[in-house]
Amino acid sequence: MKFRGGYHVPLAGRPASEVEVLPEPNVLHIPLSSRRFRFEELCVEEGQRVEPGQPLAKDMDNFALPLPAPRAGTVRLEAAEGHLTLEDVEHAPEEPYHPDQDREHIPQGLGSAGIKRYKLLMLGAWQFFRDAHTDELPDPFSTPAAVVVSAAHFEPYMARGDVQIHKRLSNFTRGLEHLQSLLEYQPIYLMLPQVESDFAGRVRETLRGYAYVQQVPVPVECGFDRPGLVANKLGLGGDDEPVWALDTRGVLAVDRALTLSRPSTVRIVTIGGPGAEQPRHLLAMPGYPLEELLEGRLTDERCPVLNGGVLTGERLSENQMGLDAECAGLTALAPGPERKVLRFMRPLLERPTFANPLSRLLDGRPRQMSPGRLGERRACISCGFCTEVCPAGVMPHLIHKYLYGDQIEEAERVRLDLCVRCGLCSYVCPSKIELYGQFAEAQRTVREELAEEEALT
Amino acid sequence: MKPLENLFDRVRPTFEDEGLLSPFEPVFEATENFFLSPGTPTDRAPHVRDPMDLKRYMWLVVLALLPALFCGLYFFGLRVLAVVVVSYAVGGSVEVVFAMARNEEISEGFLVTGLLFPLVLPPAVPLWMVGMGVAFGVLVGKELFGGTGRNLFNPALVGRCFLAIAYPAAMAGGYLLPGDGLTGRLAQYVGGWNADAVSSATPLAAAKQGTYAALSDLFFGHVSGSIGETSALALVAGGLFLLATRVANWRTVVGVLGTFGLLGLLLSRTAPETFGPIGWHMLAGGLLLGAFFMATDPVTSPAENGAKWAYGAIVGACALLIRHLTGYVEGVMFAILLGNIAAPVLDEVAVRAHLRRLSDEG
Repeated sequence: MKFRGGYHVPLAGRPASEVEVLPEPNVLHIPLSSRRFRFEELCVEEGQRVEPGQPLAKDMDNFALPLPAPRAGTVRLEAAEGHLTLEDVEHAPEEPYHPDQDREHIPQGLGSAGIKRYKLLMLGAWQFFRDAHTDELPDPFSTPAAVVVSAAHFEPYMARGDVQIHKRLSNFTRGLEHLQSLLEYQPIYLMLPQVESDFAGRVRETLRGYAYVQQVPVPVECGFDRPGLVANKLGLGGDDEPVWALDTRGVLAVDRALTLSRPSTVRIVTIGGPGAEQPRHLLAMPGYPLEELLEGRLTDERCPVLNGGVLTGERLSENQMGLDAECAGLTALAPGPERKVLRFMRPLLERPTFANPLSRLLDGRPRQMSPGRLGERRACISCGFCTEVCPAGVMPHLIHKYLYGDQIEEAERVRLDLCVRCGLCSYVCPSKIELYGQFAEAQRTVREELAEEEALT
Repeated sequence: MKPLENLFDRVRPTFEDEGLLSPFEPVFEATENFFLSPGTPTDRAPHVRDPMDLKRYMWLVVLALLPALFCGLYFFGLRVLAVVVVSYAVGGSVEVVFAMARNEEISEGFLVTGLLFPLVLPPAVPLWMVGMGVAFGVLVGKELFGGTGRNLFNPALVGRCFLAIAYPAAMAGGYLLPGDGLTGRLAQYVGGWNADAVSSATPLAAAKQGTYAALSDLFFGHVSGSIGETSALALVAGGLFLLATRVANWRTVVGVLGTFGLLGLLLSRTAPETFGPIGWHMLAGGLLLGAFFMATDPVTSPAENGAKWAYGAIVGACALLIRHLTGYVEGVMFAILLGNIAAPVLDEVAVRAHLRRLSDEG
């Protein structure tokens, strides 16, 4: 496979590899919406005592994906707006779930794989799956063209795959075997920074004969950890055949769901970035109160915190009180933006920049970076930086020009579909054009139009 | 920087919606953002951005031009400063008027145009001509196309081209003998009434008559010529800086100089009476200034890397052929403008190839 583009954003604040277990919380504020999901159909009542793993709410637009209770607790619906609050939280062992009573919901044609997929859905492991091309939740009973597992996370500060699987290699490989049992003959692609490493060798050794797993080496640079990229490069997936993608957290959740029939309630959440006092991997569950989680972990109270990685994460909304169901990491930035006198004349040494490799040669240390656009919005000058960093090999400036002129068909012709939404083009753009947001929106429009057309025919 | 921030905050209401000077809001904004970097937060991901913005981009070009400007000052005297000031003032005014009429922000592109334009002019050119040329260049070369980023031609060269065609005698007669010694002409003001005494033919014009200036003079800049083109050393130093910062793309520069050199070598071997010594020609005239600073303008050159090579080749070949086979003594300006015309077509071809490559990969 040929790779070009990609860029290593040299920022300070990478977490160390050990994982810190957070103290058990007394109360959980579980947001009812997250990036992809809206858990609007409530399954519990005010004051009800729930068991761990019991569904609290469902997202009816996403195959009735349930939101399992991470802990035992008493439901409070009005305590925080947009949240479901659990009080008097207790750590109790989850009851194993068996889908025997739900037989009528399971399509017959898939046999035992259908039952397993239903189990994944009910136990909350399905939420880790995404369509490699669209990032949306795939239909659990669809037939994928392939499964892409990403054991790489290069966006700064996100949980790196190897941290999670280092000590749980057997769970990981068993999870891959389970994944294979969901499929017929479709291959599983495992994205790794190196396929010659010790770790990759051990994965191969353990799996031999149990799962058809192909290891795909991807360069260690931002942008190359996107499963959509590998799916595109391998030519996987067509119109009706989705490519399922999941990360290592997903594989571990699959293992837990199918081996123990239990939901995965705790997961690794990373806090890092230049504004983090001590960049750490934390073991936490959805709903963990953000106030407690962030206390003493920021260098400054004014540090903005992003929900997700630094390139694609969005600002935590002020109303959000607990970790949401999808959160994989929080990125704390330095406070800002600051206004500086004649900043454009200052030498580039204090900050990294794509345009000046000299500053990296002179001093390659990771840097502080405050939020802010750091410049004014201007017309595209075709400098070509976006094309140079694009890991998908498209020409973002050209797509932008067509989208700017509302020519979405032309934008499709110049391969808008290949964009994997890594955010690098927006990062390097000297004209500060919001390419990432524009492309994501355009791709959504195209998908909606296609769906409408399909519905008509 | 609190005091400065406070000052701008105090003045701002005068320029806003109901204020006395509200039509001048773009001027206020540009001034504020020039002195104080904007504190705009990001409204969507990614929430950190590369500190490279258009101001810094253009500023790096200005920095890279400073050695050439200093050489101009040293060799041709203080009047060079007057030329630069007129260029910035008149061109800037055109830019501001258009920004106000369009109610858009003032673009930074002019930081470069305003300095590049004087550097391609003869040092003794009348100041009203400087103003007229830069106004024409900015107006016709840029604003009529929609402003920075949408222009087809390099505005500085459009202005230069206009002057060369409209006032050929004044342009050809505006070249001065370079200054000498420790201070050169740093303490002199040569232009207008006292210019005739020291006017001189450019090395390229002299070469057409068979007199070649010494290579070392070309290298250090002790020759007559446009303000910024005399010293090959200063231009190469600035140019390499631009290449290192990726502001100028090396493919264009190598394309122009490589084609000029190789084709020139070939032709000077086959027809030595028409084509002069190629090494000499590489250093003479506006070739280096054009190759490093004009041809590499990202807006008017192709965006695709493959097309940049072809564009460079066209510019290099045209510069060589115009210089030797036509009545003009210098061809770089026309060569780059011709390259600008070809750029969109070259880009189209390269984009098609790029798309084919993408679909071949799957």
